[in-house]
Amino acid sequence: MSPIDRTPPRLDRLRIPPVALAAGFAALAGAALILVSGHDPLSAYAEIVRGSLSPESLPDTLAWATPLVGMTLAAALPLRGGMVNLGGDGQLVIGGLVAALAPLVLAGPGPFGAAAGLALAALGGGLYAALAAWGEVRHGVPMLISSLLLSYPAVGVTSYLARFPLRDVATGLPQTLMVPLDARLPVLTGALNAGSLLIAAIALAVVVFDRRTSAGYELRMRGKNARFAGYGGVRLGRQAVGTMFASGAIAGLVGATLVLGSQFRFIDGALLTPAYTWSGLMAALLVGGEPVGAILAALFFAALQTGGFAMQRETSVPRVLTLVLQAIVILFLAMRQGIGRRT
Amino acid sequence: MIGSLFTPFLFQSAAQAITPILLAALAGVLCGRVGVFNLALEGQMLAGAFAAIVGSFLAHSALVGVAAAMAGAAAFSLILAYGATVFRGDPVVIGIGMNLLASGLTAYLLRVVFGVSGTFSDPGVVGLGRIAIPALAGVPVLGWAFARQSAITWAAWALTALIGVVLYLTPVGLRLRGVGEQPEAAGALGVDVARYRIVTVLVAGALTGLAGAQLSLGAVSVFAEDMSAGRGWIAVVAVMLGRNNPLYAAAACVLFGFADAIGVNLQSRGLPNQLTDAAPYVATLLALVVSHRRRSRFSQRSRKPAPTAGEAAAAHRRGGSGRKA
Amino acid sequence: MTSTAGMAPPAIALIGIDKSFGPVHANRNVNLVVERGVIHGIVGENGAGKSTLMSILYGFYEADAGEIRVDGETVRIRSSREAIRHGIGMVFQHFMLVPPLTVLENVMLGAEGGALLARGARAIRRRLAELGREYGLEVDPDAIVGELSVGLQQRVEILKALVRGAEILVLDEPTAVLTPAEADQLFEMLRVLKSQDKTIVFITHKLREIMALTDRVSVMRRGEMVATYETSATSPPELADAMVGRKVILKIDKGPAHPGRVALEARDLVVRDDRGVARVGGVSFTLREGEILGIAGVAGNGQSELLEALAGIRASSGGEILINGRPLALAQRNPHDERRIGVGHVPEDRHRAGLVMPFEACESAMLGFQHERTYGRGWLYDRKAIIADADKKMGAFDVRPRAPLLKTANFSGGNQQKLVLAREIERNPKILLVGQPTRGVDIGAIEFIHKRIVAQRDAGKAVLLVSVELDEIFALSDRIIVLCGGRVTGERKPDETNARDLGLLMAGVSERAA
Repeated sequence: MSPIDRTPPRLDRLRIPPVALAAGFAALAGAALILVSGHDPLSAYAEIVRGSLSPESLPDTLAWATPLVGMTLAAALPLRGGMVNLGGDGQLVIGGLVAALAPLVLAGPGPFGAAAGLALAALGGGLYAALAAWGEVRHGVPMLISSLLLSYPAVGVTSYLARFPLRDVATGLPQTLMVPLDARLPVLTGALNAGSLLIAAIALAVVVFDRRTSAGYELRMRGKNARFAGYGGVRLGRQAVGTMFASGAIAGLVGATLVLGSQFRFIDGALLTPAYTWSGLMAALLVGGEPVGAILAALFFAALQTGGFAMQRETSVPRVLTLVLQAIVILFLAMRQGIGRRT
Repeated sequence: MIGSLFTPFLFQSAAQAITPILLAALAGVLCGRVGVFNLALEGQMLAGAFAAIVGSFLAHSALVGVAAAMAGAAAFSLILAYGATVFRGDPVVIGIGMNLLASGLTAYLLRVVFGVSGTFSDPGVVGLGRIAIPALAGVPVLGWAFARQSAITWAAWALTALIGVVLYLTPVGLRLRGVGEQPEAAGALGVDVARYRIVTVLVAGALTGLAGAQLSLGAVSVFAEDMSAGRGWIAVVAVMLGRNNPLYAAAACVLFGFADAIGVNLQSRGLPNQLTDAAPYVATLLALVVSHRRRSRFSQRSRKPAPTAGEAAAAHRRGGSGRKA
Repeated sequence: MTSTAGMAPPAIALIGIDKSFGPVHANRNVNLVVERGVIHGIVGENGAGKSTLMSILYGFYEADAGEIRVDGETVRIRSSREAIRHGIGMVFQHFMLVPPLTVLENVMLGAEGGALLARGARAIRRRLAELGREYGLEVDPDAIVGELSVGLQQRVEILKALVRGAEILVLDEPTAVLTPAEADQLFEMLRVLKSQDKTIVFITHKLREIMALTDRVSVMRRGEMVATYETSATSPPELADAMVGRKVILKIDKGPAHPGRVALEARDLVVRDDRGVARVGGVSFTLREGEILGIAGVAGNGQSELLEALAGIRASSGGEILINGRPLALAQRNPHDERRIGVGHVPEDRHRAGLVMPFEACESAMLGFQHERTYGRGWLYDRKAIIADADKKMGAFDVRPRAPLLKTANFSGGNQQKLVLAREIERNPKILLVGQPTRGVDIGAIEFIHKRIVAQRDAGKAVLLVSVELDEIFALSDRIIVLCGGRVTGERKPDETNARDLGLLMAGVSERAA
């Protein structure tokens, strides 16, 4: 483009897929970190694989993957159109709290409560996310930052509600009342419940949306060339608000499935501790929001994280190492992509 | 009630809360000036806080701790310095990745090096002494704020002035501004754009290290996982609000510092901390909304349509100088 | 006029400069000698290689082969810093200025002197005042550059070079952005500079300026330096011939046109660019069904903006556009609506506005038509239908490889262009707007594309062709209008004119050459 730009140094011309290269690089860096801690990298990695992919641990991996895939989709959708939703945490807790309250507040049979909880959670998360998009479209407040900042009051207020006005005083913990038995999501097998099916359905819907609908086509067009999307007759403002609503709605549903499927109440902090939002964002960033790739990346991260528990248990290498590995993969790919961009 | 809020203690705790945000914001200003949008402040600060504890613990010296923080954070910043220039990575992705890397790496090393999780404190860690200036203590406002503060707090304000001077009164500053606003123009005049960017990001990294040292060695000598706790993001907003001007960014930091201190104060009066903790973020958000509303009203003169969401995001991605897009 | 001053070595000698960008051979064995103290013009059509040559001189590119001599000494120029050190100053067509900074700061940038700005600023302020007196280059040093007029910004560019001790000043299309009055002022300045023994290289495609200003002129064509004249010993027709060359006119089997009723009409159309400068200043024409109207002109004379306005991409700020006699509501037009009323548009820049490079070919083949029924059943796209549609279009337009699933970026330029044409033409528009249909396209594809465009005309479509390639204009058009400076300088039938005549019109000489 401009003559001053230096041509970037050429990396190897080997045709190793970048993702594999990044994973290999991360594995090497991780091995160095494990050696620093005085352990054997090979056995630690073996534990990760065994603890995530062996037949007995696979259901755990899938259970862990459910919210992670959900949050990955929530991140991937805006990313596909060149937008970033950093506010997943806020949308997640809103969805979780709404889902925990709906069956308690609404009269009617349990399954109705559960359905209402899911729907309202999606609505709440969606509206909250759409607020950030609206702020950018109408007032030019950058969504990248506003979505993140909106997260903090949402987390603060839900935490306050769970600790004080809505607290289940019978327990000593900061949590709401239990959801009635018949309003919980049915268990499929072991750790898996119907929430996983819901997330799988959403994943399918997002993939179909991305590949097979004109709205998905227009979103991709925006991501590649926003100006041209405008030429092609896309209403960019409406598209931004709609996309963020969908993204927030998915995040809200993730919160709802966790609450109605496995925690059965809103427990302060429980939705955020596993950092699904950030892992999901990384998985989505890894592939530029392409849904199938993002889902695969999320499954990979879920396996890594589930295996991390086993690694910590068996070799006492701290499982937080898996977070480091994920971050190295994303950083490596960010730069690798940059190198490839001008070819 | 309102009057009783503004006690000497409030000013002192505000000054203390401002310090790390201000230092990080200065780092962000420097990066923004050369056209590198820095979203990694949060992680850089955390890396600095950890390095400070390690340095202080090993050498039993706060000074070594501070030096380690600056060196460590600068080394960590190599990722952004080279990633966003030579390797042409997207600064937004790099920033997010660096924040996660810092979070994971410090937690990992905390377990590996010190054998603990969550928080680490040790009598061997020497914290920063406070510089007590009795003569100041009686002076209202300024005295309240600065009578007993760490050297880093003083340094933060001195650096604000220094960076202002460097940016606006020295050749280096002129080149930085040129590189950020119109890299082609600076390049055509023989300024090595990539080198200026890399060095600036590394210097900014050292500043975030200083911010981190204040966190872990300032008020208390403790390292806690994720102890930067969103301060880096507030600094990012301060940079945006201040439009890469160190003095305006500092003013924004003062606002957040007071919001934070008032939140703490209200907490001591019985308001739940879950609500008061959000105060600085809400203040930040409001400031952002107000500034953008005013800006859009003033920019009506230019007949350009408002940038679309995608364009604005792209502009931020390119390096935070959406104005000229 | 000034000529070689005996023994003095030339200010610049470029010997055997060669430069390729991938398959594009931008400079072929170029030789150029510029004597000290003269104004030396370089003319050539767009893409002739003028800017590349000057970028090599200024250190932006390194030549693949060849030698640069400054004042008789062989030098190697690898960066602008080195060019500046050798006394070369460059004024770019797109100014290299930092808009939010003041004039003084812009001039100082990179040459500050001293640890604090204040000391250097005093010296440069003095120097600016001196230069202002000496050359008539006054400008307020404390003004914000972004708020200055374009003419004054250009003056700042010149001052930047002079403050750095430039003895050789290269100006790349300096008048492209200026008003006539500003251009006259610039010429006056350049004459004063010449009288002070500065050497000036003046790049342009406007023959009038060459005749008015320069002492010597070199002509570039297709990457080669084809001739150098003493300006006093040449004439615009001779230069136009040299610029255009005796090209082989592409032959197309083309019967006579049978124009029908008026399909598109522009009345006093005014279009401004992004900076608010009027690039089309009151253009009127009609386009009939069954004819090809060629719009000729050197690039940058308003034809891009005209085309964008007609296609609905750019708002027009005055005048009217009528389609089938019905005026378009100018404010809320958008390309989508235009496609619906039967206007097809092949944009000039397929990379920026015609295709999405990372998309599969079949996806690029539906751009702008993504809501059409043919692509789906209800809510969902029918992937098979999309692929089949793309395959059909690719077959009809001989796009190779005929692989609807291949990424758009992986096709050659010619095949990408055929894909755009296929998309727009297969939709059967009544009016077809075509911009630079064969830019960056290989010879074989050119013929194919030309035949297709003529076939559209024969099918009764109204075709508007914008091209900077004169042969293309000649080969295809039934009628030609020439734009210069955003105005129509003439209308011709292709068989009643020749390249020289059009070249003069394109250069803004309105009278028919004798």
